[in-house]
Amino acid sequence: MYRCCMTLPESPLGAELRVTGVRLPAADAFRLNEMGIRLGTLAHVTQHAAFGGRVIAVAGSRYALDGRTAALIDVEPVTRLA
Amino acid sequence: MSSCHGSTPAPTLDRSATATMPDALRVLLVGGPNVGKSTLFNALTGARQHTTNAPGTTVELATGTWRTAGLSESDPATERSIVDLPGSYSLLARSSDEQVTADAVWELARSTGEVAGQAGVVVAVLDATALARSLYLLAQVAQTGVPLVVALTMLDLAATATDSPTAGVEPDALAAALAASLGVPVVQVDSRSRADGGMRGLARAVDAVAARPRQVIGIATPEPPRNGVVTDIAQDLAQAETLFAWVEQVVEQVNASLATASDVETHTGSGRPLRRTFSDRVDTVLLNPWAGIPVFLAVVWLLFELTTKFAAPLQGLIGQLVNGPLASGVTSLLGLVGLADGWVQGLLVDGLLVGVGTVLTFLPVMAIMFAALGVLEDSGYLARAAFVADRAMRSLGLDGRALLPLIVGFGCNLPALAATRILPQARQRLLTGLLIPLTSCSARLTVYVLLASAFFPDHAGTVIFAMYLTSVLLVLGGGLVLRRTAFRDVRAEPLILVLPPYQRPHLRTLAMSVRLRVGSFVMRAGKIIVVTMCVVWLLMAVPVTGQHTVGDVPVADSLYSAVASGIAPVLAPAGFGNDHAAAALMTGFVAKEVVVGSFAQSYAVAKPSDAARAGSLGEQLRASFAQSSGGHGGAAALAFMVFVLAYTPCVAALAEQRRLFGWRPTVSALGVQLAGAWLLAVLVFQVGSRI
Repeated sequence: MYRCCMTLPESPLGAELRVTGVRLPAADAFRLNEMGIRLGTLAHVTQHAAFGGRVIAVAGSRYALDGRTAALIDVEPVTRLA
Repeated sequence: MSSCHGSTPAPTLDRSATATMPDALRVLLVGGPNVGKSTLFNALTGARQHTTNAPGTTVELATGTWRTAGLSESDPATERSIVDLPGSYSLLARSSDEQVTADAVWELARSTGEVAGQAGVVVAVLDATALARSLYLLAQVAQTGVPLVVALTMLDLAATATDSPTAGVEPDALAAALAASLGVPVVQVDSRSRADGGMRGLARAVDAVAARPRQVIGIATPEPPRNGVVTDIAQDLAQAETLFAWVEQVVEQVNASLATASDVETHTGSGRPLRRTFSDRVDTVLLNPWAGIPVFLAVVWLLFELTTKFAAPLQGLIGQLVNGPLASGVTSLLGLVGLADGWVQGLLVDGLLVGVGTVLTFLPVMAIMFAALGVLEDSGYLARAAFVADRAMRSLGLDGRALLPLIVGFGCNLPALAATRILPQARQRLLTGLLIPLTSCSARLTVYVLLASAFFPDHAGTVIFAMYLTSVLLVLGGGLVLRRTAFRDVRAEPLILVLPPYQRPHLRTLAMSVRLRVGSFVMRAGKIIVVTMCVVWLLMAVPVTGQHTVGDVPVADSLYSAVASGIAPVLAPAGFGNDHAAAALMTGFVAKEVVVGSFAQSYAVAKPSDAARAGSLGEQLRASFAQSSGGHGGAAALAFMVFVLAYTPCVAALAEQRRLFGWRPTVSALGVQLAGAWLLAVLVFQVGSRI
């Protein structure tokens, strides 16, 4: 599968990102889609948590992802990072 | 340390599960987790509700009666049966809880379509702060063809959430725009309001839709119809894509009609920095990689203290009232009617009243636990706790929230079992509920102190510490064994958790929730406790040797003692096959606090005021354990302590397991606990006696 610039844990806090790849097992990726995180979805990382966990903001909602799951989500910056 | 018992002695869902009244309109509440569904249910039903398990599952369903006075002068009062279905993100179920929701919706769709006059309506609860996610589930429900009404919640949060697509939008305008896009009634509800909060409007809409169903615009029933079971991911994804497109279309229509170019678009970059909300700022502390875990542990410690030290004086007070003035009053009344000093007095005072007293002494600890959990849940912290503790519980396949009841179990198993309700999936609740009895509650500590002081006076502290370590190992080992056997379906799934915004808990809603849950405990678990206490009294009241009458018999001559003598040989391989130990373990089945008293009673010595100074009781214990173990009293004492740790904690915990999980898992667990405790005790003794 195409892998873009970085994974969620590699993303800086607060930057606007676009989801470009989800490398989870099919059933888990499907549930992620159902919950509103799909290819092309815009997100911001709002919080770094323990063990690589991340909190992301999508359309006003906050999603907590454990470190392993976050590392399987590829993103690209929407605006050029500083 | 305070004791947890105070001071008192000793797969498809059928229609019946979702219908409380045969001819009433059936209403199903459907929505995602944390959308305010249960708060709405409580507001609609008040106290006219009860909880049951969905048939063949341990999934809890709240059912109730939604009663409205005449909505207009010409309307009669109306009653509807209403079911609060488990929160679900999708009708393509991934857990038994979600399956119950999917089955109920599909069953309603079938019965509404096939049987004239058996009307039913789904109230889809939409979170105004997360419309897109809520609309996806609504679309799936609409595909089933059920009559549908939308209840729009969280409008107050939507208005203040700075980065929500609906931020600052007038609730009336949002509801109107949604109704126009969906083609079905959309009602704003505020379940926490003291006023009507939209409830009458919701009732009108439900009745109107029941009489004249409408279809959601742009949603057609797929052919062949689905049944909520995931069979082919590719096919499901293809169908879901159609719904995702529909959701985007609805959101765009709503935004367009509200003339608010949303700040947060879903697929085109805004180019603006994130607006940090109040919750984001709080999370910088509570979810911080370094501070998050200490904060979580502090919260658990507070719960532990509340359910032990804080509850203990209240429990003691109730125990004193029941055993003192209340028991004296009942005895006096019986004297007035000539029934004093007989078996009737014994049954009523020493059986029934002791049972009722036991239930009453548990009320403070249960109320405190339910209130504390309600605060954690309503405030939004519980979801954060799941995130913070996720790593610790992952090896057992459990949600991070399971750590909370497991730690509370070291104070008292009963509120810990009640706390399993915070877990989102029924199988996880059951697995955690089966592990909790292995946590060494404070009541067991008195037994450890007595035996450790009597047999290992120079190393008592080390022995007690080893018992707690053994408890932790049993929880971990038990969890791993269960995951590889009866719970192979419970797997460590990726944690993808929606974090609700922080909000102030609502006291009235909280009080109602605590009252209903405590009431459920009293009515369902309380009965079992009272009956068990009466059975124990009966065993102790019936003479089998000597010249005694019923109700006036020394324990040594009672049926209770005879049963203990029958059990003793079974315990011989563990080194404590004597009548005293067997009787103490039987008493310990009722409550572990009374084990020390039972030993004192059976040896006919005074109960030590401090278990660490066993005195003559210690001498008696050393003598009888040495005799039954062939001179290996220390190994037998260790084996006895391990047995006390591993077998059923108390009858109240058993009754709570029955209330939460039903008879079958409870009886199975009881058998496994007894067999496991015996095996472990035999192992400890056989190894210990050879060292």
